[in-house]
Amino acid sequence: MATLHPSSPPLPSGERVGVRGAYHPEVSPRPRAGLEHTLRRVLGPDYRMGFLFVAPIVVLVLALVAYPFCYAVYLSLTRKYVGMPPVFVGLENYVRLTYDGFFQRAVINSFVFTFGSVAIKTVLGMGMALVLTSRIRFRSFWTGVLLIPWVAPTVVSALNFLWIYDYSLGVLNYLLVHVFGVLKQGVGWLSEPGTAMASVIGVNVWRGFPFFGISFLAGMKAIPGELYEAAAVDGATVLQRFRYVTLPGIRNIVMIVLLLSTIWTFNDFAIVYILTKGGPGGATMVLPVLTYEIAFGAQRLGEAIAVALYMLPALAFVIIVLSNYMRKGRVR
Amino acid sequence: MGSALVRRRSTVRIERTQSAVSYAILLAFALFVIFPFYWMIVTSFKGETQMRSLVSMFWPSPFVSENYDHLFAKTEFVSWYGNSIIVAVSSTFLATAVGTLGAYALARLKFLGRAFMASTVLITYLVPPSILFIPLYAQIRNLGMADSLTGLIAAYPSFTVPFVTWLLMGYFESIPVELEESAMIDGATRFGAFRRVILPLAAPGLLASALYAFTQAWNEFLYALVFITNVRLRTLPVGLSTFITGDVYGWGYLMAGAVLTTVPVIAAYIYLQKYMVEGLTAGSVKG
Repeated sequence: MATLHPSSPPLPSGERVGVRGAYHPEVSPRPRAGLEHTLRRVLGPDYRMGFLFVAPIVVLVLALVAYPFCYAVYLSLTRKYVGMPPVFVGLENYVRLTYDGFFQRAVINSFVFTFGSVAIKTVLGMGMALVLTSRIRFRSFWTGVLLIPWVAPTVVSALNFLWIYDYSLGVLNYLLVHVFGVLKQGVGWLSEPGTAMASVIGVNVWRGFPFFGISFLAGMKAIPGELYEAAAVDGATVLQRFRYVTLPGIRNIVMIVLLLSTIWTFNDFAIVYILTKGGPGGATMVLPVLTYEIAFGAQRLGEAIAVALYMLPALAFVIIVLSNYMRKGRVR
Repeated sequence: MGSALVRRRSTVRIERTQSAVSYAILLAFALFVIFPFYWMIVTSFKGETQMRSLVSMFWPSPFVSENYDHLFAKTEFVSWYGNSIIVAVSSTFLATAVGTLGAYALARLKFLGRAFMASTVLITYLVPPSILFIPLYAQIRNLGMADSLTGLIAAYPSFTVPFVTWLLMGYFESIPVELEESAMIDGATRFGAFRRVILPLAAPGLLASALYAFTQAWNEFLYALVFITNVRLRTLPVGLSTFITGDVYGWGYLMAGAVLTTVPVIAAYIYLQKYMVEGLTAGSVKG
């Protein structure tokens, strides 16, 4: 983080630096014979404080992620109804889903929703970052304003758009029909199969593009100015500078943001659930909403979890690639 | 001399055009971003008759408070607000405390399993709630915490703690090791160095991660929807979503509730924007 510059450390100055080799329990452990020495060698010099500090995270990760995850994998291999003991059925749930037309449609919808959203967010985010790096006044004010959708509660945003998209009294139809006169008659944005998916994508884009913008912006700021000057001296046009200086400079950040957003968007529940609940007629049914519907509407838990886990291999692949990128980004 | 002047003038003209284009695009972005909030606020002050009639679409006329009155008098909104505060504040303290200790250990200390745990935290942060909510619900119910705020407070660390830890690891790694070393040479213990040297320097990071933990818990929808059945125990996002009636009348007080739900996070954000923007990029990206 280039943001932290501990300029003058509030420390007693080191007049005792000369005694570096002297005994200190933490810095240089006194070669003690016996158990403690062995423990330090095997478990690492800071093992006591390390284990103590990490213990709460280990407990939480085991209890809230690892165990539920394993339990989910097990349940997906069973026939399990709410309030009944699970019956092991092997891969039956997965096999049945594979040939289930409604599920197939939900998979396709999920991909359309995800890739549609991510593509538009990338374009808008790039636009936002470029505008914010150009010569403007009150840059941090503008940045702050454009980030608001990202901070606001998702459910509130989804409800706002539900109201905006309303067929008879929504402001979108009012604008298009009465103010701009583009349409003769209002559109049932969320109730017609032809527009429902696009409308839902619109809300996800509205909420998510600022994250793309702010991340790309951080990447662009990190590119040394000399590179642009050198390119300008060599006679590069604006487009060439973008293509050969900016893009390579933010390549890693773009990868991270794209993958991160792909995971988030693919698993976005709130927006679709609030706006359409997967309707009309399954036109916007995506996997997280289908999981919820099967689990708490139809009460078939095993099958619901199989829906949630069906894409696990793909998800695991994305997570591994992404976590490598993110760790690489941290190594300076 | 003359040609240089001409060139400078044309550069100035190009720059002016560029900045005009920049401002135009900025304005378009800002309108796109702000309009839904504007619309939410305007709607919340409109009366029922005005909403049915499409009169004075973009400004309340007359200005009424009936939506807010209805919200406070006839719904459980106040209870939901209290619930959201309890859940979000507890989650924030829990996540920040656990995350700070863990992040420091993972960023600085040398012990067996450190690299493994650091990777685990990152992967946990990336595992989406949509594949965990059913087994987590089963587990919370088995522990007798279903339909209670305790259940939510117990479940929210599944996403707040990995995020806070990952974010703070970045902050701690950016603080020079020499600061701690010299403090310890001066006789501070490892813990003393952590408390008196590292924590104060990481304060902006702590603030940013606490704010994000609060926002995440305040905004959370899926777990709250699944875990809570008692109407009085709902949190704000779930409570608001139950106002969708399909009737015009509901929109006024729904938007009033939406306004009041948005206020705390936006207020915190406006006040502490600098830290949050830094934190946002630090969470995913090297800053």
